[in-house]
Amino acid sequence: MAKELLSLDNGTTCSSWNYSSTRLATGSTDATFQIFDFKDPPSSSSNSLRSSFKSKVHEGNIVKIVWFPPEYGDAVACVSADGIVSLLEEIVEDSQPLQWKVRKTLGSSASKVLDVQFGISSTRLKMVAAYSDGHMRVFELLDPLELTNWQLQAEFQNVIESVSSFGKALCLSASITLNPQKGGSQESCFLVGFNSNTPELNSSKVWEFDQAHQRWLPVAELSLPEDKGDQVYAVAWAPNIGRPYEIIAVATHKGIGIWQLGLNPDHNGRLPVDRVAVLSGHEGAVWQMEWDMSGMTLATTGNDGMVRLWQSNLNGVWHQQAAFEPTS
Amino acid sequence: MSPNTVDNGTLIPFSGETNNDSLAIYPLHHTLTRPVSRLAISWSRGNSLRVSLFAEPSQTSDAGDGAKVIEVKLGGGDPEIDDADWRRIAYGSVAPFALLQSRRSAISNMSKSPSTYQLDWWEHVLQYSKEITSLLAGPKLGPSPIIDDPNEIVKKNEEPTCLKAAWELMEIFYVDKQSQAWLPERLVDWLADYDSLFTSTQETIHGKLVDFQNDLVNIQVIEDDPRYWEVMSSALSVGWLDIVVKMLRLHGSYQLDQLSNRELENGLVEAVAVLISKMPRLRPESAAGNLGECFKSKPDFIKAWEKWRSQITKLDCSPFWIQCDNQQTRVGLRNLLQVMLGNTESLCTASCYWVELYISHFLYIRPFMIGVESMYNLAQKCIQLKPPTGTHRLTGLLIGILGENTEVVLAEISREFGPWMVAHAVELLTAGSEQAEILLYDERYNLGGISMVELHRLAYAQVLSSHALTWQIAPIYLTSCMKQGMGLLENLLYRQSVQHNNMLLKNIEICRLYELDHISSNIMKVAGVYHWKHGRKGAGVFWLQQSQDTNCLDRIAQQLFDSVGKSISDESFKQWEGLIELLGSESKPAGGLEFLHKYRDFKKSLQMVYSGKSTDAARQAVGSLILLMKNPSTPQRFWLPLLFDSLKLLNWKDSPLLSVSETNLLLNKLQEFSLARQRPHFTEPNLPPQALSSIRLALATNLGRAILDE
Repeated sequence: MAKELLSLDNGTTCSSWNYSSTRLATGSTDATFQIFDFKDPPSSSSNSLRSSFKSKVHEGNIVKIVWFPPEYGDAVACVSADGIVSLLEEIVEDSQPLQWKVRKTLGSSASKVLDVQFGISSTRLKMVAAYSDGHMRVFELLDPLELTNWQLQAEFQNVIESVSSFGKALCLSASITLNPQKGGSQESCFLVGFNSNTPELNSSKVWEFDQAHQRWLPVAELSLPEDKGDQVYAVAWAPNIGRPYEIIAVATHKGIGIWQLGLNPDHNGRLPVDRVAVLSGHEGAVWQMEWDMSGMTLATTGNDGMVRLWQSNLNGVWHQQAAFEPTS
Repeated sequence: MSPNTVDNGTLIPFSGETNNDSLAIYPLHHTLTRPVSRLAISWSRGNSLRVSLFAEPSQTSDAGDGAKVIEVKLGGGDPEIDDADWRRIAYGSVAPFALLQSRRSAISNMSKSPSTYQLDWWEHVLQYSKEITSLLAGPKLGPSPIIDDPNEIVKKNEEPTCLKAAWELMEIFYVDKQSQAWLPERLVDWLADYDSLFTSTQETIHGKLVDFQNDLVNIQVIEDDPRYWEVMSSALSVGWLDIVVKMLRLHGSYQLDQLSNRELENGLVEAVAVLISKMPRLRPESAAGNLGECFKSKPDFIKAWEKWRSQITKLDCSPFWIQCDNQQTRVGLRNLLQVMLGNTESLCTASCYWVELYISHFLYIRPFMIGVESMYNLAQKCIQLKPPTGTHRLTGLLIGILGENTEVVLAEISREFGPWMVAHAVELLTAGSEQAEILLYDERYNLGGISMVELHRLAYAQVLSSHALTWQIAPIYLTSCMKQGMGLLENLLYRQSVQHNNMLLKNIEICRLYELDHISSNIMKVAGVYHWKHGRKGAGVFWLQQSQDTNCLDRIAQQLFDSVGKSISDESFKQWEGLIELLGSESKPAGGLEFLHKYRDFKKSLQMVYSGKSTDAARQAVGSLILLMKNPSTPQRFWLPLLFDSLKLLNWKDSPLLSVSETNLLLNKLQEFSLARQRPHFTEPNLPPQALSSIRLALATNLGRAILDE
């Protein structure tokens, strides 16, 4: 059953729901940032979304909004088209009323932030950011109650051979996905793929923090040898509720690859990978991929303007389960 | 169905087959006037997907809406049943399901021998199945009238549903071992209850009966209407004996004014009616008042059957027929006899579609049929004789069951009846055969190491999770999943909002019930930070303490430390004091809490000194100061601020408040502090530059006065 929840202003370009799907953050071309909340508890039938905050953030077109994990309060990162990321949080301060405030900004016109994601490891909040020069930066939050204090923990490029560095890299977009595992004791790992003019940077790689040497190491590359230079449109790490392997979706112009990632590293520290399916359906670029909370259904959107749902059948064969076509 | 509704009956998760040709494309209706330039998607809980549609930005100011947010619920279930009724079924099936699960684990714990398990198990499943059946009963259609309407042929007690029909069909074949011997008769009853459901796709006997009844008032001489005889032979072919006898008694020859001149005709009608009402049936008993003679044992039945058949043959050959001058009656009655004699052609004409023909075979041609395989062959034969015009979801299921293919049955019920049905009907399937049990409980790597049973329970739990009114029962199904249920439950609980306190408490209660301590601790931390940041510091500290988040509590204690030595307003002092109270003394990690408590006492008495100037208060403050300075838990960096705060006490006008030894203690501390200053990394307290010298001077003065006093 389909139900319209909300209408948004002219110029709105992106939206993002929080962890409990009860708050919606939207961004628009004129840098307007807006929050909508469900008025009543979710069980009431006549529940509608109301705008609870609206203001301009920084300048320029907001293209993406990413929510913080709820353990760090109600906070978002707004990524603008000019590569500036503003971290905002909703807070009461010095007897002022509750409002959203900018806590920090990242990025510059020279080194634009393309994507940013958050993850919790060893009870610390990590922010992973991909930059237009092909660099990754990992920041750590020093004080769990202060979103202003970030420490740069690591900086590296998305390449397996760390000796090579690509100074002239020009990246159009990047996509980061963190292992969505719960429980903070484990070190988190993340996957990043680029859409750039430098083939070596593009292929998506799994990075894991090596406690012993205090550095990030690539532990897997999700790309066949002949596809390594392919520009990556989007990546999505599936929640794992008990599978003996991880599942990750990687979208390139060749389609959506479904990868199984083994949990036990070989003697080189690499994790075994297996591409179990290539799904074609969206003609052209894939915009977004989202796994449901069981990690069994993948929803995707792309250039063809469709929403498509993908599942594996009982024999492990991935296929398109349904598609939705917007019609007025 | 409104145009905005996605047909949720057909969008199914986890079908057996893959077929890209049949990909379902659903329209996503929106009211944007400009073309959609971008989409964004987000999963809510369970199967609920939220889609944002962004229109191309327009330069004109009154451009209308720029985007729409739409929620799509996937794979709901059966469109035949409305939402409220679904919720009633969902809630009602929890108890039977949970009971069956606990019995399963109790039995598997108790006895290791599979034979006793097999013996008793089906009875438990039967009880479960009966409870579910009663739940699926449609709405009752009012009480039956006290005075029987003689013209009412078709009676209806409740609105039949395909869901219940499918459930009962599975119960007949898989669970009820007791009635396996009279399985054909159970199918006869099943069709009698549910024939009307097939009316949606084809002509049925039930439909014909209803049409005829509606016309009954307009018919003058009933036996002259060919439909009268046609409908009767149809009803007889599927064994609706009561209806046929009742209709026969509507025959004109029964009317008092006609009895005399139609005596023979009436005798024939009555003879057929008696034969029909004496039809032997191989079944324990029929429902109260139903016609036919029931036989439990096969030999008795065969004897009666042969006798009955010979009576029919005898009547069929009787010379009375020639004397009967009403041709309609003669032909009609003899056709009824042909139906009873099992004339294939008559049965074929009498029935409307293959399932009815199939049932008529059980009644009049092969009443001793045993074994699903021969039943399957017979079904194939009937389909050939009466090729179906359309497919009905119940016939698909019936063929799947007769074909003894568990996977097909599972795929059928999954596609046609949705996740609720599969999750619950799996119990029926596995009660039927060991083979099905192996198939369904086999753990598969392709499915991420889970069995099909678990997969379908997870899928159903997803559906439950999508709705605010049903997510609370999802844990019961999830905890019955050995491998991945807890993982999904954790994700489900993690995605509940902490904003509303009663929901938060419910979440925590569920965590406690299933021993998910790490999740509840996480939920409480989320709640703690939420309240803290939203200015409800007390609630924030409370929940952070509940979650034992030492990290955040340390930070909060640190913030409290930071206000030590600073002049703060009464208002914020009160808040500060309250927080110290809340943090309590048992929270170890804050370490300096003991200090904070003492500091609070000191600050309090100092405030009294400033407001009242009483010497007693001043002495109390000095006592607190000495306690603080003596205590090893007092951080060194606070020594100077503390003494600076106490300058008034040190310079007390009336008399020196500190004894010689106390003054010496403070002087020593001051000395120690001055030494510490020489070390690197020393952070200078934020005090006026002359603070140290003024303290030193005050202490020296006090020492002098104290010596004189002593």
